[in-house]
Amino acid sequence: MGRLVAHRLLATLPVLLLVTAGVFALLHLTPGDPIDAMMAESVDATAKEALRRELGLDRSIAVQYAAWMGRLLRGDLGRSIRTGEPVIENVSRRIRPSLQLALMAMTVSLLVAFPVALASAVRHNTAVDRAGTTFALFGICMPNFLLALLLIFLFGVTLRWLPISGYVDPLEEGWAGVRSLVLPAVTLGLALAAVITRTLRSSLLDALAEDYVRTARAKGLSEWIVIRGHVLRNALIPVVTVLGLQLGTLIGGAVITEYVFALPGVGRLVVDAVFARDYPLVQGVILLIAVGFLVSNLLVDIVYGWIDPRIRVR
Amino acid sequence: MEISRRDFVKSSAVAATAAAVGVRPEPATAQTPKKGGTLRVGFYVEAATMDPHLSGSKVDRQVYHNVYEPLVTLDTKLGIKPGLAESWSQPDAKTLVFKLRRGVKFHDGTEFNAEAAKFNFERMKTEPKSVRKGEVANVESVEVVDSHTIRLNLKRPDAALLATLTDRAGMIISPKVIQERGAELQRNAKGAGTGPFEFVEWVKDAHLIIKRNDNYWNKQGGPYLERVRYRPIPDDVVKLQSLQTGEIDVIDYVQPRDVAAAKSDKNLVVVDVPSLAAFAYQLNHHRPPFNVKALREALAYSVDVEQVVKSVWLNVGVPANGPIPPTSWAYDKSVPPIKRDLAKAKAKLAEGGQPNGFTVTMTTNNIPINIQEAEVIQAQLREAGITLKIKLVDSATLLSDGNSRNFEMISYQWSGRPDPDGNIYQFFKTTPGTSLNWSGISNPKLDELLDKTREVSNQAERKKLYTEVVKILQDELPMLYTVHPIEPKAFSPRVQGYEPIPDGMMRFKDVWLK
Amino acid sequence: MAGSIRESAFADAAALSALPAVRDRRWDALRRAARARLAPFGAAVLFAAIVVALAAPLLAPYDPYAQDLSSTLSGPSRAHLLGTDNVGRDVLSRVMWGTRVSLIAGFASVAVAALAGGLLGVIAGYAGGRVDGLVMRVMDAVLSFPPLVLALALGAVLGAGLSGVVIALGVVYTPTFARLMRGQVLSVKTRDYVEAARALGSPAWRIARQHVLPNAATPIVVQASLSVAFAILAEASLSFLGLGVQPPAASWGSMINSGRGYLQQAPWIVFGPGAALFVTVVGLNFVGDAIRDGLDPRLTR
Repeated sequence: MGRLVAHRLLATLPVLLLVTAGVFALLHLTPGDPIDAMMAESVDATAKEALRRELGLDRSIAVQYAAWMGRLLRGDLGRSIRTGEPVIENVSRRIRPSLQLALMAMTVSLLVAFPVALASAVRHNTAVDRAGTTFALFGICMPNFLLALLLIFLFGVTLRWLPISGYVDPLEEGWAGVRSLVLPAVTLGLALAAVITRTLRSSLLDALAEDYVRTARAKGLSEWIVIRGHVLRNALIPVVTVLGLQLGTLIGGAVITEYVFALPGVGRLVVDAVFARDYPLVQGVILLIAVGFLVSNLLVDIVYGWIDPRIRVR
Repeated sequence: MEISRRDFVKSSAVAATAAAVGVRPEPATAQTPKKGGTLRVGFYVEAATMDPHLSGSKVDRQVYHNVYEPLVTLDTKLGIKPGLAESWSQPDAKTLVFKLRRGVKFHDGTEFNAEAAKFNFERMKTEPKSVRKGEVANVESVEVVDSHTIRLNLKRPDAALLATLTDRAGMIISPKVIQERGAELQRNAKGAGTGPFEFVEWVKDAHLIIKRNDNYWNKQGGPYLERVRYRPIPDDVVKLQSLQTGEIDVIDYVQPRDVAAAKSDKNLVVVDVPSLAAFAYQLNHHRPPFNVKALREALAYSVDVEQVVKSVWLNVGVPANGPIPPTSWAYDKSVPPIKRDLAKAKAKLAEGGQPNGFTVTMTTNNIPINIQEAEVIQAQLREAGITLKIKLVDSATLLSDGNSRNFEMISYQWSGRPDPDGNIYQFFKTTPGTSLNWSGISNPKLDELLDKTREVSNQAERKKLYTEVVKILQDELPMLYTVHPIEPKAFSPRVQGYEPIPDGMMRFKDVWLK
Repeated sequence: MAGSIRESAFADAAALSALPAVRDRRWDALRRAARARLAPFGAAVLFAAIVVALAAPLLAPYDPYAQDLSSTLSGPSRAHLLGTDNVGRDVLSRVMWGTRVSLIAGFASVAVAALAGGLLGVIAGYAGGRVDGLVMRVMDAVLSFPPLVLALALGAVLGAGLSGVVIALGVVYTPTFARLMRGQVLSVKTRDYVEAARALGSPAWRIARQHVLPNAATPIVVQASLSVAFAILAEASLSFLGLGVQPPAASWGSMINSGRGYLQQAPWIVFGPGAALFVTVVGLNFVGDAIRDGLDPRLTR
């Protein structure tokens, strides 16, 4: 087991190398220059050149990459060109809202998916089932910026139940913070809910068809005890793994939701940095996101392999 | 030239200009201002830095004008009035003497005096990352005459310098803070200014807070507000909705499409603030098709600027005749915007050797209003036989294409400066190398006129010169101007006492909450 | 990005249901029957979309670019069934022409991904060893990129426009197909008849063509049909961030995006293309499900 983990960890290194090199190349191929973007209304060519030289932007791409790598190996992710702030600080500040949003979205998705999938599976092939699957399908097909639009309009502007923009930290402000995250969490959570519903329903159906379930039913045990006792636990495994794998995507990929709801998260950080051609920031954040993604994949594989000996990762 | 402050009309001119400026919240004199409260302001982006000498972005200025103060400041008609300088005089064309206000302290307790002012000027000129170098390039040296008098020795006569000093170049930062804090000033401006509000904290991506300066030198009027809280809300749909739901109290800009609805909303107050800005398209004089003057003229005659302003801007703006906005003293309304004339356009096409029209690519920003304007112009040009292709890019690419002159026709927006020189000189003067003269125009007569506008100090004479400049610009067409936007600002009805100044900066000194 | 959560979750879920399960034949058949009822609906939607896309010049009542600045933002009426937008263009006509763009974005990007990914997967699976390792590392690298950012950066490099979007999305989806194809190749490679063919000296490409591809076709087609739906949604998300077709051409996504600001005054600008987008994506999903269930219930290995 330990050897497996070590082997996998080692395998991620070349991937990370490829990712960072890829980002570097891509960024430098894009037209546009961070200094010009920063000092858009200034014509002071000498000041701009001085800044470029100071930041090393006048050297060749290969040299710049090597320099960045060198700093990275010393644990230094560099500083944002626009603000001069260390990349690490920037990211750690913005990880919290993203993480909180992701967790809330997952909670929402489970709250929705659970009853729907359960009802669907238990009332298999009835109208309830069809309604459930249809709901799941619709959730998947709804573009999330459209959903965000509608939610804001309905709950924010018309009903005034929930705040529509800005981030309040639930850890600091408690309930007010949770309220500020509800609309974005529902926006993200609904798509996830749809997928979870399908997965859960599918695995519930499989579990319900197992022999021991039929035996339990034959013995006269009530449906509910049967489900609670045996079926649920087994059916949850695939769901947990899907959620685990989704965590990385939720954190780095919730750009549109973060943009519309003005949440200072990691997704928006990257996109804004790309627009500003803030090279060190983009590289640092993408690297961290990639690391997070690969690590969470590895964890899920490990947990999964440990739970189910039939599936062993090669 | 002597500019005597004794003759100066103070801001009681506000009442007279209220009509020109549009609807406003209740007049400041009608009720007694109340102290206290937090004003929540929503901007589309947050400030980039708190150091005025290193600042290159427009949003920074919004905060600066409440925390820092310039030597001179603007009134509602863009006239220059005393700020941290009580008075000024020009013994000769190349010398500017400021008499500084006494009894003013920085927020950190140190005294504002001539040494502090001189320190600031030197920093602007010598700090490597200073973005103000170009603005004060003409200042050869600064002498301390006495504790509250400084003398600026200029390289050349510069009629536009005073106007430049009403903004960041004239803002005085506490030397003690600069020396002690250095680069950290960019994120922490505690104690650094002299203004009616002082910096409290800036939590990046969340909010920036300033609080009332109870030791403010000006005892007339405010400040009244306890605190002002700036929040970035990048999505302008959500920004307006946040105002409508009462989550914030002020927004800096209402999109033209929302203006009518916002004005009829009884829970909002909309103030039309005519701005100094201009929207235009730079035409590349060194690349086909616009290296041929007749084809540029054909373009100008094919575009219906009035229709663009009416249908794209919904009249939240004024058709432009050139770079000088109607709010400026230099604006000459006897020079109308170029009027659409399809017959003339056809003639010019033939003259330019393209009787059946031509194809041209417009590079423009990926923002809704730009896209809309481009589409309307595209339809207009089609009627004249000109095929317009639209290329959408993000702003970094736009800047890159512009600076490298890699375009045929490129969209350009300039936020505007109080003195016409700021809207004109750097765009049209022959400049080798990289500059904001993206079109590449090089016209000796124009160059001569531009230099003269800086030397002549009599406003009436300068205005005549600028009228000539505008006429040449309409003839040579380095840029096709479309509109001078109005920048409507919207408030919750609780907000009282706001005085709009055409530079678009929101100064909260006399603002209070009901 | 709309596609990313669903896309990757789908792939995960599909992989997970590869667990061998004891199923009751009765449940199986019933399930298939229920879904089959929806499949014709999906097929109908897809068919309608293709027809509209091809015949847009004939079907659309107005020129999608014709502006009528005197009747902007007018509501649905007999003259304009879906109303007009902010420069007076007929929304219905634009939705119809937008079908072309959205379908091309969807199908073309998936075609690119399937071809590139398929090729890479075959190479990796067949060659094995270091080549396999290298190719899969590269695929992992692409996968660990946040998809929206990758598409954005690629789009900025490739330049604006539909082709940029197609290539950007194609790159984003390539790893999925690469993995799928590789898996297929690996499972086929060890089969007896393949070993026999190799022993007989059959060239690799013939083996690939005769044995690998026919088997791989089914899962690839299933994945492709699902991916097209995601790609269409993804294109809409990308135009939200400013990447996409150049005006005056419009995709559903860019119409929704530019119509956002008018939601309160003129909601039809958003709901016209929004409904079209939604219905098409739902239809495509039905079709994808039907293909998966119908072709081989033991699929998803």
